[in-house]
Amino acid sequence: MPISTCVLTLPRLVLLCVSLGSAILFTPFSWAAETPSENARKEFVRAVLSESFSEREILLRSLVGYQDSQVEQGLIAWRGGSLYLHETNALKTPFLLESQTDADGNAKGLQVIDGKYVLDSAGKPQLFSQTDLTAVDADAKLRRVIKTTLDLYSLGHSNLMMRRDAIIKLGQAQDPSYLPHFRGSLKDQDTPEIRRALLEAIAVTEASDPDEKVRVPAITTLGKLRSVNSVSILQALFDTARKEPVKAGEETIRSLRIALAEIDRYLWWGTLWGTIFRGLSLSAVLLVAALGLAITFGLMGVINMAHGEFMMIGAYTTYVTQTFFATWFGTSGFGFNCYFVVALGASFVVGCLAGLVLERGVIQFLYRRPLESLLATWGVSLLLQQLMRHIFGAANVQVSSPGWLTGSLVLNDVPFAYNRVFVIVFAGLTVLGTYLILTRTPLGLLIRAVMQNRAMASCMGVRTSRVNMLTFAFGSGLAGTAGACLSQIGNVGPSLGQSYIVDCFMVVVLGGVGNTLGTVSASLGVGVTDQILQPWLGAVMGKITVLAAIILFLQWRPAGLFATRSRSLDS
Amino acid sequence: MKIRTSLSLLLASAFAFVSPESQAASTVKVGILHSLSGTMAISETSLKDVLLFTFNEINKAGGIKAGGQSYMIEPVIVDPASNWPLFAEKAEQLLAKDKVSAVFGCWTSVSRKSVLPVFERLNGMLFYPVQYEGEELSKNIFYTAEAVNQQAIPAVDYMLGEEKKKFYLLGSDYVYPRTTNKILKQYLKSKGIPESDIEEIYTPFGHTDYQTIVASIKKFAAAGKACVISTLNGDTNVPFFKEFANAGLTSENCPVVSFSISEDEFRGLPAKDLVGHFGCWTYFMSLKTPENTKFVKDFQTWLKAPVVTGVDYTVSGVDGKGRVTCSPMNLSRMGVYLWKQAVEKAGTFDVDKVRDALIGQKFKGPAGEVTMQENHHLVNNVYIGETLATGQFKVIRTLTGVAGEPFSAKFLTSKTASN
Repeated sequence: MPISTCVLTLPRLVLLCVSLGSAILFTPFSWAAETPSENARKEFVRAVLSESFSEREILLRSLVGYQDSQVEQGLIAWRGGSLYLHETNALKTPFLLESQTDADGNAKGLQVIDGKYVLDSAGKPQLFSQTDLTAVDADAKLRRVIKTTLDLYSLGHSNLMMRRDAIIKLGQAQDPSYLPHFRGSLKDQDTPEIRRALLEAIAVTEASDPDEKVRVPAITTLGKLRSVNSVSILQALFDTARKEPVKAGEETIRSLRIALAEIDRYLWWGTLWGTIFRGLSLSAVLLVAALGLAITFGLMGVINMAHGEFMMIGAYTTYVTQTFFATWFGTSGFGFNCYFVVALGASFVVGCLAGLVLERGVIQFLYRRPLESLLATWGVSLLLQQLMRHIFGAANVQVSSPGWLTGSLVLNDVPFAYNRVFVIVFAGLTVLGTYLILTRTPLGLLIRAVMQNRAMASCMGVRTSRVNMLTFAFGSGLAGTAGACLSQIGNVGPSLGQSYIVDCFMVVVLGGVGNTLGTVSASLGVGVTDQILQPWLGAVMGKITVLAAIILFLQWRPAGLFATRSRSLDS
Repeated sequence: MKIRTSLSLLLASAFAFVSPESQAASTVKVGILHSLSGTMAISETSLKDVLLFTFNEINKAGGIKAGGQSYMIEPVIVDPASNWPLFAEKAEQLLAKDKVSAVFGCWTSVSRKSVLPVFERLNGMLFYPVQYEGEELSKNIFYTAEAVNQQAIPAVDYMLGEEKKKFYLLGSDYVYPRTTNKILKQYLKSKGIPESDIEEIYTPFGHTDYQTIVASIKKFAAAGKACVISTLNGDTNVPFFKEFANAGLTSENCPVVSFSISEDEFRGLPAKDLVGHFGCWTYFMSLKTPENTKFVKDFQTWLKAPVVTGVDYTVSGVDGKGRVTCSPMNLSRMGVYLWKQAVEKAGTFDVDKVRDALIGQKFKGPAGEVTMQENHHLVNNVYIGETLATGQFKVIRTLTGVAGEPFSAKFLTSKTASN
C-alpha cells in the first residue's frame, strides 16, 4: 500500500515541479523575449527605409542575433521582391502580401512591424493587387547581404539537415565575422553531424587566416575531418602557396599537402565504392528486367517482343495501386507507404494473367515457327502500347515513391539511394526464388523436363502444353514485377517497355540463351563495365563502347558466356 | 462530280441565305504544321489546340479585316508525325496545294531546318514558337520563340547574381543543347568563370541511368556555389530529378535551371522532386495580368466545347483533361495576332507585303507587350520562376523588354545582354 501511493504521487510531484518550474522560467522569459524582437523589427524597418547601402548593410548585419520569424519573413520577401511600402501621411510601413488571394487576385497586407493587417481609412484590412504594387528595391549586392543574414538565421533551423547544409555553406564563405556565431553554437552542441559541420566551418574559415599559427592547425583539422567540401578551397590555397612559397611559409605548404593527400585518398575510396554500387545497381535493373525474358526466351525459345510491354503493364499496375491507396489513405503515412508491397504482388499477378492470355491466344499456335511468333508478339506489343495510351493518355503518369524508398543512406560521403538498394536486394531475391522454383519444386522439375526434351516428357505423361503455359505466365509475371521496380527509378509511360527491350535481349543473348546463370553474370558484366566507363567516356560514348564490346565478344563466342546445348534449341 | 457540284451549290446558297451581307463568307486558309503522332505529339498537340482556340477567338470577333472585307480563318491541319523529312513534304503540300497564307508550326530545330528551304523556295511564311538556339535568320520565318539571350543568358545572369561560381551544363545530345551550351560557355568565360569550373555533359535521348552523372554533380557541388543548367529534354527529366533528389541534392545546395520544362511538360513529371528549382521563359501561366487571366479562362472554357466558328470545320482530337498553358502556347497565339495585325495594315495577304508590315507590330498579350523587330524576333518580357509543387511557377524575377537576338556573336560582344 505505501509503495503504491508512493508510485502514484511521484509522477504528480514531477508534474507539479515541472509546471512550477515552467511558470517561474517562462514568465520572465516571455517578457524578456518581447523587447529584442521588437527591436529587431524596428531595425528592419529602418533598414528598409534607409537610402544608403552601407547603412542598410550595417543594420541587416545587426539583425543576425535575433531569431524573429516576422523579420525572417520580411527578409525573405525583400530578397524575393515581394516586400512593399504602405504610405500614409509621410509614414511608411513595410508590408508583405498574404499568400491567400480573393477572387480578383487581391490580398491583404501584413505589416512586418507587428504582424497585423494594413488597415485602410475605415479601419478595415486594405486589399492590394500584386500587379499595382512596386516592390522595395533590392539589387544583387543587397540581396547577397540579406541572404547572409538569412543564412545565419538558419543556424537555428529546426530541421537538422537544413541546419547542417546552412553551416557548411556559411563556412565556405570564409568570413571571419561568422566565427563567433559558429563557436557560440558549438558550445552546447550534442548532435555529431552538426558538431562536425561546425568544426569544419571554423577550420575552413581559419584556413586562410593570415597568422600561420592559426592557419596550420586549421588545415590539419580539415585533413583529419576528411572535409570533401573544402577540397577546392585547399587546392586554391595550395596553388597560391606554391607560387609564393616564402609568403605562405613552409609549414603551411606541408600541412596543405598532407591534408589534400588525406582527402584525396578518402575520395578515391569513396569513388571506388560509389562506382561498385552504381555498377551493381545498374546490373540489378538489367537483371530484374531480363530475368523474365531469360525464362520465356532463354528456356522456352519464344522470341517475345511484347516482353517490354509486360513490364509496362506492371508499371501501370503500380500506378493504379498507388492511385487507389492515395484515395484511401492520402498521399503519406503508413497506409500509403505500404502500397508498393501490394503493387509488387499485384503487378506479378497482372503480368502472369497477361502472359497467360498471350500464350493461350497467340503463342501456343506458333511454337514451331519462331519468325512468325516474333512478328505476332511485336504486333501485340504495339496493341498493348496503344491500349495504354487509350486508357491512361499518351503522357507519362506520375508514380511517387513511398517514403521508405526515397532519400539515401550516406556512408563516408557516398550516397546509397534506398530505391537502388531495394532493386539490388529485390534482384537477388528474385534470382534466388527463380532458382529454387526451377530446382526444388515439382513444377520446376516439369519445366526443366519439358524444355530439355519435350517429346520424352510428353511420353512420360507430362502435359507439355500446360507446362508451357505456366512457364510463360511465370516469366511474364517476373516482367510485371520488373515494371513495378522500374516505376521507382524511371518513367512510367506507354513506351516504357521500348527503352528496355533491347537491353533485355542483349543481356540474355550475351549470357548464353537457355542459361539463367549466364543472364546473371551478363547483367553484372554489362552494368559494372558501363558504370566504370561512363565517367571517362561520357554517357553516349560509354554506351556505344559497351555495345561494341558485346558485338566483338559474340563474334568470338557466338553462343554467349555460358553456352547451353539443349534439344529444344537445336531443333 | 455531279454530287459535289450540287453540294457546293447548296452550301453556297445556304451561306447566301444565312448571311445576306455575304462578306462574312470569305475565308483565308492558314496552315498548322505540328506533329499529332509520334514522340513529339505530347508537346505539339497542345500548340495545335491553342492555335485553333486563337482562330476561333479571331473569327468570333469578326475575323481579319483586309481591303474592306473581313475574312474568317480556316485551319488546314497536317500531321508530319514527328518525322523530319515528312515536315518538308507537308510544308510543300500546305504552300503549293492548299495555298495557305501563313503557316504556324514546328517544335524541334531539326523540323524547322527541314522546312526552311521549302518556305524560301515557295515564298511562304512560317511562325515558329519554341525556344531555340538561334544562329539562323530566314526572311520567310518569324521567330516568336525565345532566343538564347531571352532565356539562357538571363537565367545564367540570375545564377551569377546568386553568387554561383560553378556551372554544370547538362543536356540531351542534339543541336539545341549543344549550340546553347557552346554559347553559354563563351558567355560564362566572358564573366570570369574559368574553364575548370564549367562542366559540359550530354546524355542520349531516353537515357534512364543518371547515377554517374548525379554522382559527379554531387562532387562538383561539394564546395558549394554550384548550379546545374539543364537542357535535358522531355521525360529523361524524370529519372534525372529522382536520382538528384535521392542523392540528397536540393535547390538549396545545387539549384537546377531547366530550359525545356514548361507547365505543359510538368504534367508528366514528379513535381515533388522539382520544387524550388528554376525555369526561365517569356510567359508563365501564373502571371497575374488581366490579359492572362482571360486567356487561361477562355482557353479552359473552349477546351470543353472546342469549335472554330465562322468556317465549316470540325475540331477533333482535343483532350480537355488537366490542361495548362505555357510559353510556347502563348507565343503561338502571339504569332497569330501579330500576323493578323500585319495583314490588316497591309490590306492584303500577300506574303511580301505582310512581311514588311509585320516589322514593328506591337501586341499586348498575357505576358506584356511584344514587338516584332527587324530581325524577325520579338522584344519580350523575360520571367524567371521557381517551381511550385502544383506544377506552376512563382515569378521571382522579371526583365522587361528584352530584345531577341538570334546571333550570339552580337550579344556576346555587346554588354547590353544583361542588366
